[in-house]
Amino acid sequence: MTGGVAPILRRSTAWTRFAVGLVVYLAFLAALPYGAPVFSALFPELERPLYEQQSFVTLVGAHLALVAAASAIATVVGLAAGIYVTRPQGRAFRRMVETLSAMGQTFPPVAVLALTVPVIGFGFWPALVALSLYGVLPISQNTIAGLESVPPAAREAAEGLGMRPGQRLAQVELPLAAPIVIAGIRTSVTINIGTAAIASTVGAVSLGSPIIIGLNGGNTAYVLQGALLVAGLAIVVDLAFGVLAVRATRWRQVRD
Amino acid sequence: MIEFLDVSKSYGATTVVDNLTLSIAKGEFCVLIGPSGSGKSTILKMINRLVEHTSGEIHFADEPIRSFAPEVLRRRIGYAIQSVGLFPHWSVAKNIATVPRLLNWDQARIDARTTELLQMLNLDAARFRDAYPHQLSGGQQQRVGVARALAADPDVLLMDEPFGALDPITRDSLQAEMIRIHAQTGKTIVFVTHDMDEALRLATRVVVLEKGAIVQSATPRDLLAKPADDFVRAFLGKDDYGLKLLSVEPVSGRMRSIVIPCGPQSVLPEDSLRLALSRMMAMKNNRIAVVDPKGSQIGTVFLDDLAS
Repeated sequence: MTGGVAPILRRSTAWTRFAVGLVVYLAFLAALPYGAPVFSALFPELERPLYEQQSFVTLVGAHLALVAAASAIATVVGLAAGIYVTRPQGRAFRRMVETLSAMGQTFPPVAVLALTVPVIGFGFWPALVALSLYGVLPISQNTIAGLESVPPAAREAAEGLGMRPGQRLAQVELPLAAPIVIAGIRTSVTINIGTAAIASTVGAVSLGSPIIIGLNGGNTAYVLQGALLVAGLAIVVDLAFGVLAVRATRWRQVRD
Repeated sequence: MIEFLDVSKSYGATTVVDNLTLSIAKGEFCVLIGPSGSGKSTILKMINRLVEHTSGEIHFADEPIRSFAPEVLRRRIGYAIQSVGLFPHWSVAKNIATVPRLLNWDQARIDARTTELLQMLNLDAARFRDAYPHQLSGGQQQRVGVARALAADPDVLLMDEPFGALDPITRDSLQAEMIRIHAQTGKTIVFVTHDMDEALRLATRVVVLEKGAIVQSATPRDLLAKPADDFVRAFLGKDDYGLKLLSVEPVSGRMRSIVIPCGPQSVLPEDSLRLALSRMMAMKNNRIAVVDPKGSQIGTVFLDDLAS
C-alpha cells in the first residue's frame, strides 16, 4: 500500500536527473579553464578566446549568491503577501498586492537597475533590489492560487475539529498548497538565474560579466562561455526543484 | 446537554433561524429534518460556532457556548460532514488522530485509540491505518470521517448529512453502524438529514423544521401516529406512509409464541415489521418465523396481525 515500485522509481528519477545534471555541470565548469584550444578553433580570429578576468568558479559562486539572496527575499515577500491576502483580515488588499507584484514583474529589470543605481550606487545591492522585485510575482500569485486550491471540505473540517487559524495554515493549507507554491518559487528562481546576468551592467560580479565584456569587446567566445554557464546553472537548479516537487506530493503518488 | 433559548440567526434582512427553543438531552439521537432552506444545517453549525447566532442563548454542558474559546468548544464536539473533508495529505491514522493531537495526547494513547476506532467502524487496521484518503471508497472515507469525529471521545457528535452522498447500500450499512455506536457509547448525537426514512430509522427524536422554526418535535412513533400538520404529513410521504408506520415498530410487539414452519426466511425480534412484511412478500407467504440470534425459532408473525 505505501511504498511500491512506481513511486520509488518516480522519486529516484527526479533524483537521478538532478544528480546527473549536477555532475555534468561541475565537470563542464572544471574543464572550461582548459578549453582555450577548443575556443580558438571555434573563433580563430580572437586573440584571447578564454575569459580569464575572474575564475569561472568565482563567477558561478557570485551568481548563485546573488540569485539566492534575491530569491530568498522574493520568497519571503511573495509567501507573506499571498498568505495575508487570503486571510479574512487581508482579503481587501488582494487587488493591490496582485497589481503591485505584476508591476514588479512587468517593470524591466534593466530599468530598475537604472533607477536604483543613482540611489544606492553600483555593485551587488541595486542588482539585488531589481531581482527581488522581479521574482515576487510568480511566488505571490502561486501562493494565492495554491491556497485557493485547498478543498473547501478540508478547510471546513479543520475549522470544525478545532484547529486554530495558525494550525489550519501550517498543518492543512500550506502542505496542500505546497506543490503550486513550489512551482512558483521554481519559476521565479529559474527566471532570476537568467536575469541576474544583467547585474554585471552595474558592476556586480556574475556570470553576466563575460557576456557583457564579450559584447562590448566583440568577443563572442566570452559571450558563449557566460551563456553556457548561465543556462546550465538554470537547468541544474530547475532539476533540484524537481526533486523538491516530488517530495511535496509524495502522498499523492501512493497507490495500492 | 445542548440548549437553544430563543435563538435567531439572520443574514442582513433574511432570517434563517427564528426564535428557536430546543433542548437536547444527554444520550439523545436527535435528528433535524426539513427541506433545504429550513435552517437545519445552520442550527447544527451554531452549536460548534461555525455559525455565530444573532440573538438568544445557546448552552453546551450548562455553559453559554460563548464562554468557551471556539477551538476549545470544537475539540469537545465531534463533527462529521457530507463532503467528509479528510485531509488528503495525511494517512487514515493521522486523520483520525487530528483532535487527540490538538489535545496533546501522548503517542501510545493516540495509537491505542486509533486502533479502537478503526475496529469500531469495521475498518481493518492493518489495511487502512497507513492508507491515504484517495485510496479509499466513499463509504470507507466516511467511516474514517466518523472515526475522526469520535476520536477524542467528545460529549456530543454533530453530523451534517453525513451519508447524503453515499450509495443506498453503503448508506444502509453506515446507518446500522450509527445505531450500534449510539447504543454502545451513549453519545449525544445531533444529526441533520432531508431523508425521512433515515430520520425515522436513527432518531430517538425527530425535529421537523420549516423556514427556521420547529414544526414538530417527537419520537419517530409519535411523529407517525400524530403528525402535527399537513407539512409534516407531506414530509412523511403519502404512498409509503403505511410502510413507514411498520418501519418504526419492532417485530417483538406483534409476535405470537407459536412455532410452526414458515419458509426459508426469518427475522429477529428487534427487526422492524417493515422488514418482516418485505420478507413475507418475498417468500409469497402470510407468515414469517421470528428467531433468536442463534437462529432457533421463538415465534411467528402473521400477516393479518400487521394491520391490527
